[in-house]
Amino acid sequence: MPSDVSSFLIQLFSGLSRAMMLFLVASGLSLIFGVMNILNFAHASLWLLGGYITFTLYQVFSSVFGQNGFLLIPAILLGTAFMFALGWLIERVLIRRMYARELPEQLLLTFAMILIIGDLIKLVWGVQNRRIFLPIEPIEAFGGFINPYLFIVIGCGFGIAAALWFFLHRTRYGKIVRAAVHSREMVSALGIRITAIYAGVYAMGVAIAAFSAGVFLPIMPIGLGLDMDLIIQCFAVVVIGGFGSILGTFVASLIVGIVYSFSVLIWPGGALAVIFLILVTVLIFRPWGLFGTEMRY
Amino acid sequence: MPVETKPVALSDEGEKSTHLAAPHARVGLSGPVIAVLALFSLVVPLLPGEYPTIVGVEILILSLFAGSFNLIYGYMGQMSFGQGAFFGLGAYATALLCRWCQAGSTDIGYPQFFLALLLAIPVSALGALVVGFFLVRLTGIYFSILSLAFGELLFYIVFSWYGFTGGDDGIQGIYPPALLRDPHYYYYFTLAIVAAATFLIWRITRSPFGFTLRMLRDNQRRTAFVGVNIRRAMLLNFVLAGTFAGIAGALWGPFQRSVSPSLLGWMQSGTPVFMTLMGGADFFAGPLVGSLIYTSLNAYVTRFTVFWPLTIGTIILIIVLFFPGGILSIIDGRLARNRGSRGA
Repeated sequence: MPSDVSSFLIQLFSGLSRAMMLFLVASGLSLIFGVMNILNFAHASLWLLGGYITFTLYQVFSSVFGQNGFLLIPAILLGTAFMFALGWLIERVLIRRMYARELPEQLLLTFAMILIIGDLIKLVWGVQNRRIFLPIEPIEAFGGFINPYLFIVIGCGFGIAAALWFFLHRTRYGKIVRAAVHSREMVSALGIRITAIYAGVYAMGVAIAAFSAGVFLPIMPIGLGLDMDLIIQCFAVVVIGGFGSILGTFVASLIVGIVYSFSVLIWPGGALAVIFLILVTVLIFRPWGLFGTEMRY
Repeated sequence: MPVETKPVALSDEGEKSTHLAAPHARVGLSGPVIAVLALFSLVVPLLPGEYPTIVGVEILILSLFAGSFNLIYGYMGQMSFGQGAFFGLGAYATALLCRWCQAGSTDIGYPQFFLALLLAIPVSALGALVVGFFLVRLTGIYFSILSLAFGELLFYIVFSWYGFTGGDDGIQGIYPPALLRDPHYYYYFTLAIVAAATFLIWRITRSPFGFTLRMLRDNQRRTAFVGVNIRRAMLLNFVLAGTFAGIAGALWGPFQRSVSPSLLGWMQSGTPVFMTLMGGADFFAGPLVGSLIYTSLNAYVTRFTVFWPLTIGTIILIIVLFFPGGILSIIDGRLARNRGSRGA
């Protein structure tokens, strides 16, 4: 039980770091849905795959250059780049064929991808959990011990959020993406090749997810089945925040992450149930989400 | 339901050319398919060895499960990714009462066993009522997400409630009464129940209520305008579908001699989705054919490889990309072309 300020703060930071991961995965999910109207069920599976690839890259680097925690940085960057390319490929080969289809078929395609990716991971990496041990000493803060890596994670989350905001609001390409969220027809009517936007958005969403998986490797082991847990919480986040709204996704991630972190403390079995309670309440009273627009719903 | 008969008459006159006309045309294919399947299902236990019979029981149970899902998908037009929850609820209701009646032994009387099976009906119906109350407020993508979320929530409840459900150990040693322990007898027992339930589903799809569901699929707003209480109709259908899934689940436990939380999980919820898609959601017989193919594949593929999800995922991918209507629609298309070239 949280008895004093220090454990409260520590719980808050762990909730914040959780919120950052939710945001990094859910923002891609939300963008992909906003732009292409495709609900990417396999988003968390791609996140998991990105984590495994980063893990392997880190191991390869460690065996070549010797054990050094900083090798995680090139591993994450390379893993992210790889997943960007893979995301691009998936959009070109599979997702592109689904735009004209009915919603259930789109859902099924990405659902099938969960099965395939999950089994491929099992085939390559086996069933044991993977994590990276970094030689980081917990530091004393707020009257308790806390892993300083948590702050790096939280910083990364805020950094990506800011970069994403900058990209969407201050660059030409980002503005086109936002316009596409509003109306795809109008964007293509203005002479912009919308199909080129699609692959980029999908690849970017996958890459951000993969990046977060890599960043979290030192504090959270990855394993089979985690993708299903994560995707459901991400659905909760994007529905609460409103599909297509990055700000909404950010706020909803904070809500879900922090609420989850404190619920675990008070009622371990029911943490997920509390999230669902929020989700159901939002869906019933404001189905388009806190920051979404009624029009899209 | 007097409220719901009127709009049906209206829509039947109105839109002959769209979706509504399809079920009439396609019963033509579902009829012979079911006749063939029925004949085939009677002789399965005569095949040599026990294995075909065991697979046969699974096919039957899962075809009822898939049929229940198609009430929501094919007829009401909503994609539920949480149907496994009600399958699991039914299985657990039966398993818990069976275990209580067995009281540590492996014997159970016939009345107790049938009572345990019957218990699955109110339990899964109640579960579907609670979940459906929230779900019917949504459609499309939101319906799918929330159904998946509720399914996982129920999974976690069963998974973590050690005192009552046995947690992730599940419940072992559920035995049917003496005679039904022989797979051949259990097969015919299952066949009778599944046939009766499937007949009921068929009656539902041909009733005025069934046509209301098709209207809901094709145009919700218009359905509301002609005076149908949309949410009540959707909720009723969701409860019916959940109950049929529960009956299927009830038959599953005593046959496998055990139940586990994975019966409520997302993979289990995906099973009827895949089956229906394979067979063809536009056909009443679609889920049955899908169950036959999926379960047989599963039974024989898993002998050679543990990577069943990879196999089925690839098959689904191919079906979605290249044969979106399922197997029956390919056959139907061929037949229609032949008829067209000869007739016209």
